[in-house]
Amino acid sequence: MLKLNPQRKAEFLELMAARGWDMLLFYGDTWRKDHFRCLVSVCFTGPQAVALLTKEGEVRAVVTHPWDVEPVKAGTGGAVTYVPRLIEGLKTLLRDAGKALVAVNGLEQMEARFARVVAELSGAAPVSATKDVEEIRRVKTPEEIEVIRKAAELADRGYQHFVSVAREGMTEYELVAEVEGFVKAHGAEDNFMLVASGGTEVTGMKPPTARKLRTGDSVITELTPQIDGYYAQICRTLVIGPPSEKQLQSYAIFAEAQQAAQDLLRPGVDISDVARVQNDVFRKHGFGEYTGPQYTRVRGHNLGLYPDELPHVLESTHYTCKKDMVIICHPNTYLPLSGYMVFGDTLLVTETGCVSLNQTERRLFQV
Amino acid sequence: MKRGLVSWDKINELPPEEFAARLAAVHAVAREKGVDAVVVYSDVWRSNDARYLSNFMPYWNRAFVVVTPDENPILLCALSPRVYPWIKTVTMHETIIASSSPPATLFKLCAERGWTRVGVCDLDGLPEDLHAELTAGALELVDISRSEIRPAPVESEVRMHARAARMAREVLEQELASGGAKTDHELTGRLERVLRRAGAEDVVVLVSDGEGPPIPAEGRPVGPHTSVVVANEYNGHWAKVTRNFAGVTSGFDPRDGVTQLREILSGPYSWESIADTKADAVVSLQLQIPANGRQYYYGDTWLQSREGLRVL
Repeated sequence: MLKLNPQRKAEFLELMAARGWDMLLFYGDTWRKDHFRCLVSVCFTGPQAVALLTKEGEVRAVVTHPWDVEPVKAGTGGAVTYVPRLIEGLKTLLRDAGKALVAVNGLEQMEARFARVVAELSGAAPVSATKDVEEIRRVKTPEEIEVIRKAAELADRGYQHFVSVAREGMTEYELVAEVEGFVKAHGAEDNFMLVASGGTEVTGMKPPTARKLRTGDSVITELTPQIDGYYAQICRTLVIGPPSEKQLQSYAIFAEAQQAAQDLLRPGVDISDVARVQNDVFRKHGFGEYTGPQYTRVRGHNLGLYPDELPHVLESTHYTCKKDMVIICHPNTYLPLSGYMVFGDTLLVTETGCVSLNQTERRLFQV
Repeated sequence: MKRGLVSWDKINELPPEEFAARLAAVHAVAREKGVDAVVVYSDVWRSNDARYLSNFMPYWNRAFVVVTPDENPILLCALSPRVYPWIKTVTMHETIIASSSPPATLFKLCAERGWTRVGVCDLDGLPEDLHAELTAGALELVDISRSEIRPAPVESEVRMHARAARMAREVLEQELASGGAKTDHELTGRLERVLRRAGAEDVVVLVSDGEGPPIPAEGRPVGPHTSVVVANEYNGHWAKVTRNFAGVTSGFDPRDGVTQLREILSGPYSWESIADTKADAVVSLQLQIPANGRQYYYGDTWLQSREGLRVL
């Protein structure tokens, strides 16, 4: 499923026609596979893969690992070439380009030598299609929403597992290993996960360390499993042992802020306001200074084939939300009450508002 | 994505003196090229070169590692300053500068230090937007090849790759012997759990059902024709080991019907195909072996040099 999404392909062809592009390349590397997978949803294993969409609708691809040939061929139905060096593949793809206007989705991430080859073969510097393609990707198709629902469900189950295994004396990395093993065993293709544990000294999340969990710790995580290419996220906080008054007070502020975002999010709303209503809750409680970049990053972000898609939910970002966007709203930040805390759900924008795709209880967990 | 344990064992694995020696070699290259500093790019999946110089392994985002002549390398990265204390505990970096645009920050740094001529490791390998921004500036840029920064795997690196290979081999062979997994998803989950508990930084598992090449798990049943590839990253050093349930093996000398894939594990990416059979490199050799109408896979991690191959 979703190997070559016909709706997306049609939208990309319309974009090409509107912009006057003769060819559209989708360049993915190991980090940003999404730039490739938005046309050909195959999890390639080589360092790079490129798909070419012609204005006639033909799809051809080059891959840099021989094991990628069969799955990409099955995904596209078109020609797929294996090349150990991508430059040779680009020459193959564009050898008949002549004078053509070539756009590249993911141009920014492309090695400069690759971009130069595209320019030499097509007679002009390639133009970036990344922002236009991102805009198309933001509004999810019904099929994509179904997949993201599954990812959200796995995020819920993954968090349940997180709660069931977390215990005093366990290291952060052992906890992450347990959750990673669980979500992979239950179908996750990948999982983006950050974690932290401790008290008011904790100012943010990072990869797990060898720190052992202790009674009284807040253990925070954002868990982001990927199913068939699409990510959903959940953010929750648990306490080892009984929570303190300050931890409870802190959690109540986060829950109120997240609810404010969820109450506001609907088509037509400026994403800036979704950030503002969250920050206003912190301001109301006297913690306005903790809504800035010194203490936090974003109040949420778009989700899809990449776990941190734009737009970010920030007061400084203006974007009009649309139906069928999938956004996590998480007012994650540092507070002096109990250190960095996280709380957030994956939200689907509907015609009249939004719904959470997560079913996990909205509470401060305790083990 | 890098999300497992990132650690730095300064006593048993990589003492700071090891990095000092690597940096001294880069300083010599800088002097020879007449450059004031050397810049090395890093991102989530292209972190090997920067890791070699400073042990920096980003879990997210892009960065420049700037090797200067008279202090530890400076890190220009887009990660939040809130994680800099942690970065300092696992890297050589003492100075970290928040940089939403590493080139812009580099220009500022160069202006402050009076640097006008800067070396860039594999300049044309930079992502296009960073390359465009960097080359549009007033700095004189000198391309420095990767082989000048990392001439050949040094012994300490080889030891780390060997440890990664040993972990992968032991865990994979134990899992195949137990036969506990019914599907490739279960198998992947079990391998991930054990390897990450053992300290793996990242794990990639691919599974072949005997009909096609190894691919990420899709929920297919595990059976006697299944082959399993485990790529295991231990503190920034990759190894790749492949075994199959049928116990089909082959010598690594090419013979009829056996297809050999050679990948470099000590290059800029985690792995990529390599044609040079003499280059000094840590490589993965993967064999596709036809037997009983199926395709089986078998592979391991090796040190490749002019003297030949040595399994790690």
